[in-house]
Amino acid sequence: MTGLRSTLGKLVGGSAIEIDGAPAADLSVAPESAEQIATLLDFASEHGLTVLPWGSGRHQGFGGRIDPDVIVSTSRLAGITEWIPDDLTVVLGSGATLGLLHDQIWTRRQSAILPETSPEATIGGVIAAGVSGWKRLRYGPTRDRLLQVKFVTGDGRVVTGGARVVKNVTGYDLPRLLTGSFGSLGIITSVCLKLWPVPEALATVATDDPDRALAVTHRPQAVLETPDGVSVYLAGTAAEVEAQAAAVGGEVTAGHSWPDQPAGECVVCIRVTPVDVALVVTSLTAHSFVAAHGVGEVVVAVDPSEIEGLRERAEAGGGAVVVERAPQAVYEEIDPWGTPPATIDLQRRIKAAFDPLNVLVAGRLPGNL
Amino acid sequence: MGLSNALVSELASIVGAEAVKSGDLDRHLYSKDAGVIRGEVSVVVLPRTARQVASIVRTAVAHGLAVVPRGAGTGLTGGAVPEGPAILLVTTRMDQVDVDAANRTAWVGPGVINLDLSNQTASLGIHFAPDPSSQAACTIGGNVANNSGGPHCLAEGSTVNHVLAVEFVTAGGEIVVAGSGAPDPPGLDVRGVMVGSEGTLGIITRILVKLIPNPPAIRTLLIAFPEVRGAAATVTDVIASGVVPAALEMMDQPLIRAVENFVHADLPVDAAVVLLAEVVGHEAGVDVEAELIERIATDHGAFQLRRAADADERELLWKARKSSFGAIAQIAPDYYLHDTVIPRTKLVEVLEQIYQIAERRNLVVLNTIHAGDGNLHPLFAFDASDPEAVTQVNQAADEIVEISIAAGGVLSGEHGIGQEKRDLMHLVFSPVDLDAQARLRDAFDPEATMNPKKILPAGARCFDFGRPIPEGAWL
Repeated sequence: MTGLRSTLGKLVGGSAIEIDGAPAADLSVAPESAEQIATLLDFASEHGLTVLPWGSGRHQGFGGRIDPDVIVSTSRLAGITEWIPDDLTVVLGSGATLGLLHDQIWTRRQSAILPETSPEATIGGVIAAGVSGWKRLRYGPTRDRLLQVKFVTGDGRVVTGGARVVKNVTGYDLPRLLTGSFGSLGIITSVCLKLWPVPEALATVATDDPDRALAVTHRPQAVLETPDGVSVYLAGTAAEVEAQAAAVGGEVTAGHSWPDQPAGECVVCIRVTPVDVALVVTSLTAHSFVAAHGVGEVVVAVDPSEIEGLRERAEAGGGAVVVERAPQAVYEEIDPWGTPPATIDLQRRIKAAFDPLNVLVAGRLPGNL
Repeated sequence: MGLSNALVSELASIVGAEAVKSGDLDRHLYSKDAGVIRGEVSVVVLPRTARQVASIVRTAVAHGLAVVPRGAGTGLTGGAVPEGPAILLVTTRMDQVDVDAANRTAWVGPGVINLDLSNQTASLGIHFAPDPSSQAACTIGGNVANNSGGPHCLAEGSTVNHVLAVEFVTAGGEIVVAGSGAPDPPGLDVRGVMVGSEGTLGIITRILVKLIPNPPAIRTLLIAFPEVRGAAATVTDVIASGVVPAALEMMDQPLIRAVENFVHADLPVDAAVVLLAEVVGHEAGVDVEAELIERIATDHGAFQLRRAADADERELLWKARKSSFGAIAQIAPDYYLHDTVIPRTKLVEVLEQIYQIAERRNLVVLNTIHAGDGNLHPLFAFDASDPEAVTQVNQAADEIVEISIAAGGVLSGEHGIGQEKRDLMHLVFSPVDLDAQARLRDAFDPEATMNPKKILPAGARCFDFGRPIPEGAWL
């Protein structure tokens, strides 16, 4: 590997780096451009090397385990390229963190509606994992705000999909395809996101009846339940927030304070239809969890032995139980995704269209894809 | 070209003889959409079920024919118009609706009319958000195929934001479902790619749509400006203020005058441009937001503010906006409606360029704009029997695309690419980008059975600079 190591080092114009928390690899590098990544992936395809893209590592617990030859860090693609506040759009490198983006656009009270409690996560990681914040009840998932994506395919082509406009039907929707693709189709190098203005007033109201809260408010940002109770997250004009808080009727706190991710070694996301959230919550006993009413997500710390039972019930209702993080041994025993999707053959062909030699994260997606 | 009798009987054995139309008149009637491109239809079939669609696709493959899906035919880009011998698969009889009120979703057939769905769910207090101007006629299958928008997609997003799952027939004749009523189903987002794919990746047979709560309160404003600049600045400032209106539409003077003659809504015909703005939400919030918009508009020179007093007046104002295309008939027998998108902040300069193009070419242009999204719809009224006018209109169309792209925009915001803009795709995408899209298409449909020659120009996979695939490669 020494020869390959030095060749790869030269290709990306720098030496090997160390990445905390990453799996063992022959080489870890941090390229500084999409073109360097293209050269690297072309080389990897030629020599049959397996490659794992890496942002902050925040979402690396999803999916099958990877034993990479090369880890490609996005840490040198970490800048905000262009923010146009009047268009409510921003272009940034995939290695930019959510914290960096938030701090900049908050100066004009704008938000990218990304996960609220992981400022260290990179935008590339959030898009690749397809994760959304709690406010998706009001604003929809992250994939609805990815306007443009630039990525490098497994065979080293630099491709742009979408455009820097807020409404677009020009060509196939590559931004949506890349969202949640976990690096399997290409390494994302930059994105353009649609932003939202942050409403004038924000408030959090305690309640004990999530269904009633959803019924008496109009489009709240979130209705979250934890073992400590249910909170309704309101936003809008001051008058509207006040009136809706009164309708809910519980204790009101100004602003939004989001729950922490459930504490535990093994955390799964139970994804069900919105009405099934209450059933899932009832079945939880001593668990640490956050349940998103109206959305259908329950993130919960579990004992690994519980996963199969939870999964059986969720899948029977058309849902899924997905492992978000767990000790290594769990992945050896339990499929992190569950039953593969009905379109698995099609997904295999899509993967091959973008990564014909299967150098990118082989085995990470459902169905060992 | 008609089909052989054997094929017609084979199709009849799948869907019944009355659902197969192979006469010259039917083939002619179905050979174009609402746009200007006419094509060639071999035979028309009107299936009722996904299994029938699957059998039709298998029959087409066996006979080497393409399958072109079509809803109500309200598209404008020739997307549902076959370019070669093809079975035209009309989905209008696939009109089942199955509402799940508790989850605020519905499984609908592709042939369900957009407005019919919202009317059906009105008593439940929920509706389907995408509202193209053609919503009284267009089908949800067509909305999904084109990822249609409409005035209210400013706040709610286009069709793709409201589709949770699609059932479709693959090029291999299999029926599969992509997506789920539960969030983020594991695996690649096949659902997301199917939406907006214009029937080129598979034939959609059922759609799980999201239905959103009807707003408890609505305020609709009509604001008149003496010049475009003030209206454009109002759009920018309103959105920057933290209020995202449900809709923010702009109409220019020629259009206002044509529409006023048509609907008699007491529109301000002296205005250079009007904004139609709508805010929705909680009763306690909408007046505050409406006042904010009025204040911003006044600061930017608005000379008339009108707030719809009741539901009837609101409906009249929306009728004025949505009947733009009917009103054109008074001006000229034909029209050519464009659809490009630009960054919202470039509105004034691009609109001025559009007026210059029309003046230079001696054309009548009317503009209706989804201003909040930067989605332009310049419309040329002309007489297609005048060859010179047709030439000028076509050249003006190309110029509008060019100036939109020069401003950082794209070919289409909601109408799609179809045939109309297929050969302009290279203006926004590099050969490598187009090749990636062509590979994606091939992954779904390697033999190009599904609505071929749409979206991507011929030769999108015109080069192959990758290395040969070694033996034993994972494919």
